[in-house]
Amino acid sequence: MVSEKKTGFGTKILSNKIYPIVFLSIIVFVAVLLLMLVNSFTQTKILAEREAKVTTVLQKIYPDMNDFELKEDIYIILKDGDVIGYSIIAVGKGYGGDINTIVGLDKDYLVKEISVLSNTETPGLGTKILETFFTDQFKGLEPQDVKLSKDGGKIDAISGATISSRAVTDSVREAMEEKLEIIKSNNY
Amino acid sequence: MSEAGPSLITIFIGMVLVNNLILAKFLGLCPFFGVSKKITNALSMGAAVTLVMLIASIATTLIYRFILVPFKVEFMNIIIYILVIASLVQIVELFIKRTNITLYNSLGIYLPLITTNCAVLGVTLINAQENYTMLQSIVSALGGGIGFTLMLIIMSAIRERLEFADTPKSMRGLPIAFIIAAILSLAYMGFSGLI
Amino acid sequence: MIEKQERLTAKKFWQELAKGIVITNPVFVLVLGLCPTLAVSNSLNNALGMSAGVIFVLLGSNIIISLLRKITPNLVRIPVFIVVIATFVTILSLVFEAYLPPLYESLGIYLPLIVVNCIILGRAEVFASKNSVTLSIADAFGVGFGFTIALIIVAFFRELLGTGGLEVFGKQLFSIPVLAESPMSIFIMPPGAFIVLGLLLAFFRMIGVLKHE
Repeated sequence: MVSEKKTGFGTKILSNKIYPIVFLSIIVFVAVLLLMLVNSFTQTKILAEREAKVTTVLQKIYPDMNDFELKEDIYIILKDGDVIGYSIIAVGKGYGGDINTIVGLDKDYLVKEISVLSNTETPGLGTKILETFFTDQFKGLEPQDVKLSKDGGKIDAISGATISSRAVTDSVREAMEEKLEIIKSNNY
Repeated sequence: MSEAGPSLITIFIGMVLVNNLILAKFLGLCPFFGVSKKITNALSMGAAVTLVMLIASIATTLIYRFILVPFKVEFMNIIIYILVIASLVQIVELFIKRTNITLYNSLGIYLPLITTNCAVLGVTLINAQENYTMLQSIVSALGGGIGFTLMLIIMSAIRERLEFADTPKSMRGLPIAFIIAAILSLAYMGFSGLI
Repeated sequence: MIEKQERLTAKKFWQELAKGIVITNPVFVLVLGLCPTLAVSNSLNNALGMSAGVIFVLLGSNIIISLLRKITPNLVRIPVFIVVIATFVTILSLVFEAYLPPLYESLGIYLPLIVVNCIILGRAEVFASKNSVTLSIADAFGVGFGFTIALIIVAFFRELLGTGGLEVFGKQLFSIPVLAESPMSIFIMPPGAFIVLGLLLAFFRMIGVLKHE
């Protein structure tokens, strides 16, 4: 139908030599504009979601918490203005990609609880790092004990998921060692 | 994780053996099952992919670090990367055609297929995801390409012999190729302790 | 006359839909789009998420490409297809990141890789650029559902054998006690993907659903 209605003017445009380039440019321009628009909608949502997730996890680790401060990537957990703990985010290289873990420390710098925030491990296998039988092993440990038992530490790896277990364990230890120095030297 | 990220050797071994594009990441499967019946074809295809992968990694890393990140438009990477790869493939094809006609005759027919080869886009996306530096990206592309070529050659060698084997009727062709890939993948899992 | 034509279109609509699902099933018959079929079939959740993504992109790109088919210059046709597909994939990726973060994370780089899924570019080139919008929609749904069914079948076996149970959207559907205690983890790891797809293809040939080579 449309082709019948095509005027002489239309055919002239369609057979023009620069028309393909103009057409492609318009498509790209529209695409970029559209993506900018979608991004502006989703970006705020993505950031809010991330923030909310961290807050929920912190709330779970520290039921007494009523406020926290963020300094140099360290969450300082406050209860009525007193420091009751510190939380840091450890990033490890797992089997499928980055594993982000929130490490909750008490005010004596021992692990209170860890909670895996996000991961891309194999479902049903590597994702067992989310389960309490694995994460509970970290409770009350000092940094030097946060190692797999086969590396001389106190954490038993999940059988069949050593890479994921080691990624969490090593990243938690490294993050603790790095951030505890900052916490102690700045007296947060 | 430290600022520098993994060492170059770790990236290289990781891409060639541990996280082999085909066996562990399932990238570039179409040529893996489609083209690989002759070793010479496998080698040409592998070389073409490696070349495009390398150039694409250099180009996309430059774009990612100097345009996308500074302007905070990382979300544009999919559309920009695929356009970069598509135009690179065209340029490489033209360049080889003009300069080396023998090379063009052996690589030529594979080049257009590479645009939709997920291995190339996959490697550039992995580079961005891991935030690799220029040198790390180059090594990761080289490792990815070599790992890919290696797999194509191994597979084509096995399939050349398979022609003479008495395979059950239903398993002939693709099904047995999948089973071979599974066994290879199983063997490659043994490398996972390397890094 | 008009009524007859409409009935004809409706009939063709259902024909195209059925064709994509059964006769030219993209995964089992044409063996296209293997990367996502193997990579994200390690759980039903991932399989469903990926299928939804592919249907969305396929539908969007088929509609737009079909609408533009009369004014798209032949010379830049492929780049135009790629830009349209990449735009939909980026929208999908942004929406997943904002509203379904766990799925976004577990699909990882396979979400952006929908761009190079041969199925989508193939449909653009073979079908949408030559047919009306209605038929292109039917084609998108047909091929999309065909892909979904294939992905679900592969994921069903992999998750069941690999974890001993099935889980959808965080709900345990059922589990087999013996298998759940000592699951065959190999099935959710890469080799399992190849084994399951290889055996499925052979099985479909044996019972005569697929042709022998």
